Amino acid sequence: MGLDVHFDWTGSIGEVVLGATKSDGGSRKISYRIGGGTTLPFLDADSPAPSPLIAFEVCDNPQFWSPIVRKYCGDITNNTPEWVHAAEASYGADLIRLYLTSTRQRNFTDVSSVGKTVEEVLSATDLPLIIEGSNEPKIDSDVFQKCGETGQGEKLLLGTAEASRYRSIAAAALAYDHSIIAQSPIDVNLAKQLNILLREIGIQRDHIVIDPYTGSLGYGFEYSYSAMERIRFSALKGDVDLAMPMICSAIDTLTVKEVRESELQIQDEIAVRWEFYTGFAAAVAGAEIICVRHPATIMMLRKAFGSLKSQDRTRMVM
Amino acid sequence: MALKALDIYKLLPKKNCKECGDPTCLTFAMKLAGGKADVDLCPYLDEQAKTILGATTRPPIKLVKIGVGERSFAVGEEFVLYRHEKTFYHPPGILFKIGDDQPVDAIIAVTKRVKSEAFTRVGSDLQFNGIAVENASGSAETFARAVEIIENVADLPLVLISPDQAALSAALVHCGTYRPLIHAATATNFKEMCSLAKQHGCPLVLKAHGLAELEQLVKKCTAEGAQDLVLDPAPVSLNDFIMSSTAIRQLAITRSSPELGYPVYLDTTGDGTEDAMIALGIVKYAAVMVTSPLNQASAKASLTLRQNIYTDPQKPIQMNPGLYRVGNPDKNAPVLMTVNFSLTFFTLQGYLESSHIPCFMLIVDTEGLSVLTAVAAGKLSESLVRDAIKKFGVETEVGHRSLIIPGYASPLSGRIEEATGWKVLVGPRDAAEIGDFLHEEWEKRKERS
Repeated sequence: MGLDVHFDWTGSIGEVVLGATKSDGGSRKISYRIGGGTTLPFLDADSPAPSPLIAFEVCDNPQFWSPIVRKYCGDITNNTPEWVHAAEASYGADLIRLYLTSTRQRNFTDVSSVGKTVEEVLSATDLPLIIEGSNEPKIDSDVFQKCGETGQGEKLLLGTAEASRYRSIAAAALAYDHSIIAQSPIDVNLAKQLNILLREIGIQRDHIVIDPYTGSLGYGFEYSYSAMERIRFSALKGDVDLAMPMICSAIDTLTVKEVRESELQIQDEIAVRWEFYTGFAAAVAGAEIICVRHPATIMMLRKAFGSLKSQDRTRMVM
Repeated sequence: MALKALDIYKLLPKKNCKECGDPTCLTFAMKLAGGKADVDLCPYLDEQAKTILGATTRPPIKLVKIGVGERSFAVGEEFVLYRHEKTFYHPPGILFKIGDDQPVDAIIAVTKRVKSEAFTRVGSDLQFNGIAVENASGSAETFARAVEIIENVADLPLVLISPDQAALSAALVHCGTYRPLIHAATATNFKEMCSLAKQHGCPLVLKAHGLAELEQLVKKCTAEGAQDLVLDPAPVSLNDFIMSSTAIRQLAITRSSPELGYPVYLDTTGDGTEDAMIALGIVKYAAVMVTSPLNQASAKASLTLRQNIYTDPQKPIQMNPGLYRVGNPDKNAPVLMTVNFSLTFFTLQGYLESSHIPCFMLIVDTEGLSVLTAVAAGKLSESLVRDAIKKFGVETEVGHRSLIIPGYASPLSGRIEEATGWKVLVGPRDAAEIGDFLHEEWEKRKERS
């Protein structure tokens, strides 16, 4: 009897491609294939999966972005392309997640500006891109259509579809061959339901990334962690409607009390720890894209993933 | 391998005497199968049956108690690989490591910190659990003195780290009756270590890299009579730890390797990714964790993660329904209604606090369901809102009759207006936008009126 873990998995995680290089009809310098896992995260000694991707989140109107990040990053937060460039060149992100917060102003109508922003961001970075569209059903259709069209050929990841609101985003993804983020409120069954809805309107499984919704550390993460574990577990047990890679974005992290009200001298440190503990534990539960807003969290996660990733066992010298 | 309830039943006397506290032998058998009862409760078992059952019905991971008194803690007795299958029961003890070669003041300071520091979250005080003293000096005398200093400051659980039997013996003079955890027995020194552990009745860490080696060491030490064991798989990387601790947990709970049925030890210091080691230990089955004295940021984050992971995942955390104040609201302050799911409550409360607009939060009883789920399941209704307004005396607290409801509850807005007679304003769906909403809608509305 071998002293090792033993699972009888029958399923595996489906793969999703993010970003397209020139040879694939896009302009990115790299494209990522995420998913493909055949066992629990980081127990894949026989065929080591790559490290989870670290996405840096930016927005095109930083008015309501965390003051901690605005202070740390400085004036470039007011210049989206420059900020995006820094995320790639200085902070070391794997991909960029752009929130079109400008569309969240009341009575927003200037959809052409969305196209312009997306265009500028695409030229400011060579990394694959996640785009978060509007938050307002009335303009969803125009905004997603514009994002999809502007990013045609780039294999974007568009966010965020929910059970009550997925048609506009799905239409844009289908028309321009992008993938989408499917978010459900911390529940394995609701996640499955939404994936089925999306399939029924024509979104292929290899174009869906599950967002089980990440409550931040101390504020719901206890549920998110298990929701992620259950999704991964169901997928490995053969449920193809849950066999998609997952994304973790604990968007409230920098506004929870412990971070917001911490002493100023240690505020960056605590913001980074809060993002790190959440993102790292989520990766252990199965998330393959970890989103952060504080630049200093990126290197900390990267170093940890380097040690967490399965190594080729033959090279491990004891 | 584990016996099924029916197999166990066949070995029982089938008298249904109730002396074990269970109504029938079959229900007792079911408890035994689940590791929830002790074989010794049955007075009529013959020795042979006892031996068979004893080996297969004790909890798959032995409970090991470390320290004595108020701050002592127990680890082990876990049953599942995933917390959603049941829950995790015994949170890992986290102990700050300090070398015996440190200045006396530093040793005292760390001890005092662990003794008194506590973070209060959601009604619980979160604390670190004890001190791990390392025999960095190599001197038995220095080691013993460091332990004596710590014992003079606080009654905290200790880990004594030294490869040297003489140093451990000297330290145990000061703390041997307080159940410190001894680290560690290895393939070369296990005889001496087992005899020390037995002599003082202390739990003992066995350290070996590789599960086969660990299993061998357990066999040798149990043969020497050591009982309360903790296993240190001596990981060389985060991956090495997740591999070995997952394997130990799985082999233990399936009883594939009874020798590995003991709690796991993890030293997180050393390789420069300490926060990651701590987080990994918490989510992946470490039971005793030795860390450096953590800075405030890492301290709070790690204790919060431990609290999260050791919360029963099946139970929605609920707030008591009622009227909560944010700041010092007056008669004109806005009233925001939402559900009693604690995550919803704390998220909304956080954003309200940062909006700097004093207000009331009216929390209604949706049995811990979120807004979206409560609306879908019909748990959030106009009558619930009406009754809450009456019950919590909202009408005497404010002069106006306007209620802000969550964006996801908008389908109920008309019915709530009819049932309560209050004007309903539909707020944003995302709590992050509540500050903006209040400034735009509420403050302006106030100006208009």
